[in-house]
Amino acid sequence: MPGEATVRIRELKKDRVNFVLENVDLAGGTSFANSLRRVVMADVPTVAIDMVEIESNTTVLPDEFIAHRLGMIPLISTSCDEGIRYPRECNCTSHCQYCSVELQLNITCTDDTTIDVTSNHLDVYTGEQTDAGDDGDEPSKRGEGFGMPVGKNDPSVPPVLLCKIRKGQELKLKCIARKGIAKEHAKWSPCSAVAFEYDPHNKLRHTSHWFEQDERAEWPLSENAIEEDAPREDEPFDFLAKPERFYMTVETVGSLKPRDVIFKGFEELQTKLANLIHGLKSTTEIETNGRMTGHVVPIAQTGWGQGPTTMNGTGGGGGWESPGAAGWSV
Amino acid sequence: MNAPNRHELFVLDDGEKGVEVIEDTKIPNAATFKIIKQDHTLGNMLRSQLLAMPSILFAGYKVPHPLEPYFILKIQTDGSITPTEALEQAGNALLKLISDLQAKFKAEFAYKDVEGVDGVAEDPYGALPSNMTTSAWGSSTRFYADYS
Repeated sequence: MPGEATVRIRELKKDRVNFVLENVDLAGGTSFANSLRRVVMADVPTVAIDMVEIESNTTVLPDEFIAHRLGMIPLISTSCDEGIRYPRECNCTSHCQYCSVELQLNITCTDDTTIDVTSNHLDVYTGEQTDAGDDGDEPSKRGEGFGMPVGKNDPSVPPVLLCKIRKGQELKLKCIARKGIAKEHAKWSPCSAVAFEYDPHNKLRHTSHWFEQDERAEWPLSENAIEEDAPREDEPFDFLAKPERFYMTVETVGSLKPRDVIFKGFEELQTKLANLIHGLKSTTEIETNGRMTGHVVPIAQTGWGQGPTTMNGTGGGGGWESPGAAGWSV
Repeated sequence: MNAPNRHELFVLDDGEKGVEVIEDTKIPNAATFKIIKQDHTLGNMLRSQLLAMPSILFAGYKVPHPLEPYFILKIQTDGSITPTEALEQAGNALLKLISDLQAKFKAEFAYKDVEGVDGVAEDPYGALPSNMTTSAWGSSTRFYADYS
């Protein structure tokens, strides 16, 4: 059995985590690490402003401009799983307390100085909603400050500037924040940047460096190069080598903690795989039994962690040589 | 406005099956899987996991069109297992790897929490430059282009 996969966190800050994945062999290390990268960027749900009702806008910026800027503001999204429904899963007419968070902004400038309208002026509004969807306990499961702009009551976090207004100008609006994922719109991404690197010395020659005179001088090594031995001058190319160390930095926008982003990413990967295995099982049952066997088990109960495979082989050996039992392991 | 809902790219419709199995009639022990509402995230991961299994002769995937949210995965085995079984094993192996990594991340994060690195960052954006004592927004120096 090959070496165990290990994780080493090199840096953990409020908004980012830098870690090294080692021995994620399985020959699929690169694609697994890449799937992790893809999933934290695009599949982790957060809340973001999705609809803006502008009551009055006498600023220099047009409504669309402000609405777009509002959408980009990161909102605190912890407990997104249980705290809010997807709008498509709620049966209210447009939005309600179960599938949305309402934020309000009302600024008028009466002074001679300009006012910076920032994300700090947005307030979460909790009021009665008439056409709400089916009753649920979502709002009670929300964490503290759910839906608030990130860093609102924290003087060390600079707010997001939306607009500047001068004397006599006013901005009054209502925002509806909804849950979504970044595949729908990038504003729902919990990550501002995900760094991904392997093989800093390019020993595997997965890329070729263009250079004028001296490759070494023209291609500075990355910070991760100290983790691996530099190739010797006369070292022959090992064409069988596989990447086994992956350096990643996940930088969040603040809507979720880096820790939550990583774990939620893993959960999303599990859901994808579980749904696939579940789908395979149900199609096999139709084939072998000729009819559906009422196998509608909620995904959470299928026990895919180490579920035994209870299938009859449907395809026989067609004259192919079989090299004994499959002795592969993870 | 006839634009389809964006979530139709990643949420299965009512009654839609996530996986379709098309057994190959010309090649022995081969099958094509059409996996709907999934993309490279799952496809590439499964493909490389399948290739690591000794009983697999061929595994490959493609997303036939970027606007159509599905991918197809072709698998040929040596006959010791069916392609469906192989795919299921690959999925289970990846699930095992994920739960393994989850536990390791949990331990690493707990260790870092004890160290007190988390939450006591000087500034959410890392350390401030030494010549700056407060954040850019609290300082009195105005932006050079701000003439108001």
